[in-house]
Amino acid sequence: MTDARDDDTRHEPHDRDFDEQVRADYLLARPIDAAARERVLAQLAETGDVVAKGEEPKRASGTSGWLGWWFSAQPIALRPAWALAALAVLLVGSGWLGARFATKARVSVPVASVPDAASPAATATGSPVTFVLRAPGATRVSVAGDFNNWDAEATPMTHTGTGDLWILNLTLPRGVHRYSFVLDGSEWRPDPSAPLAADETFGGHNSVIVVNGANGL
Amino acid sequence: MAALGLLAAGAAFAADEASDEARLRARLAPDVAQQVSAVVREARAAGLPTDPLIARAFEGASRGADAAGVVGSVRRQAGALGAARGALGAASTADEIVAGASALLAGVPADSLARLRVARPGANLVIPLVVLCDLVARGVPVNVASVAVVTAARAGATDNALLRIRERIHTRIENGGAPAGSTGEVVRQWLQESPAKSRRDAAPNSERKKVP
Repeated sequence: MTDARDDDTRHEPHDRDFDEQVRADYLLARPIDAAARERVLAQLAETGDVVAKGEEPKRASGTSGWLGWWFSAQPIALRPAWALAALAVLLVGSGWLGARFATKARVSVPVASVPDAASPAATATGSPVTFVLRAPGATRVSVAGDFNNWDAEATPMTHTGTGDLWILNLTLPRGVHRYSFVLDGSEWRPDPSAPLAADETFGGHNSVIVVNGANGL
Repeated sequence: MAALGLLAAGAAFAADEASDEARLRARLAPDVAQQVSAVVREARAAGLPTDPLIARAFEGASRGADAAGVVGSVRRQAGALGAARGALGAASTADEIVAGASALLAGVPADSLARLRVARPGANLVIPLVVLCDLVARGVPVNVASVAVVTAARAGATDNALLRIRERIHTRIENGGAPAGSTGEVVRQWLQESPAKSRRDAAPNSERKKVP
């Protein structure tokens, strides 16, 4: 697209002055001419483009009519205060929904706590298991349990890269396993999505996972 | 031939013992490893599962427990394994014995385990015991949790049904419900919703199989 000012070089000086006057005049705020407005509205009413107060708008018959309403430009009047309030409600609501469903997704990841002998992934020796933990602020997270000699460093989880989710896929042998998450090498935390082991022998609860092999428990 | 079989079994027994002791020595202080090894040997001789004992010792070491704490915990665990087998029956699986021991250590009386066995004859009890322990850990009084799980099991609750009941109770407690009251409400509601016959019909075959 060519800038209009590029063409000014071809105009005479008086033409440039004239252009500047037109532009300034255009930008000047003027009071609304009420009589002119009424004249324009009367003309539009005669052509059928304006609906008088209390009169039903004329609709074209058939599908194209009501479809046409959806796809044509419609005047919308909004009070700024109400519009801001609606926007705030929308943002808060969407944030709440997002947090709710994000949380559900985190805790509902199957942790293989339910035996499923029919699982195609189950083998005679164990089943694949996914551990997921939401750990805001943690710099490293690992899993320690019966299946890795309770070594707090041996089985690190992977940070997903977005948010504060940590994830780990393992194949565990069939049986009942107790485990805990270890945050930053020192904080032991049970899995919020799994059943708890009842005893707190060493000062904290563990979680329990029941892994089913192809032969069932 | 029988003598050869006995010889092979004895060799495997000795190999397991040597392997366990090597694992313990690799992770624990020598005196702690020695004391834990003694408990593990006794358990093996009694036919109890030994992996949970070694795991308990490793957990104590990783969590920074002192020597007395580790050894004492392993001894309590061994005692609970024996008591769980007694309550659940000699034919119980190793997983059932481990889950039962966990329940006993949480304060569940042994007769609750026996009643659970009667309530679910021939079915695996691992999930009911896991649910029972979970309820106790979440503050449900032991007697209430025991009655709830035994009642649901007697009414034909499948493993999945018990896990759903656990989730419902968990949700109510998280939302501020009293643990005992929430448990009673959820189990009563489940009993009303699920006629016993349909529950039995819905039970998967794996839950009706005989315990080997």
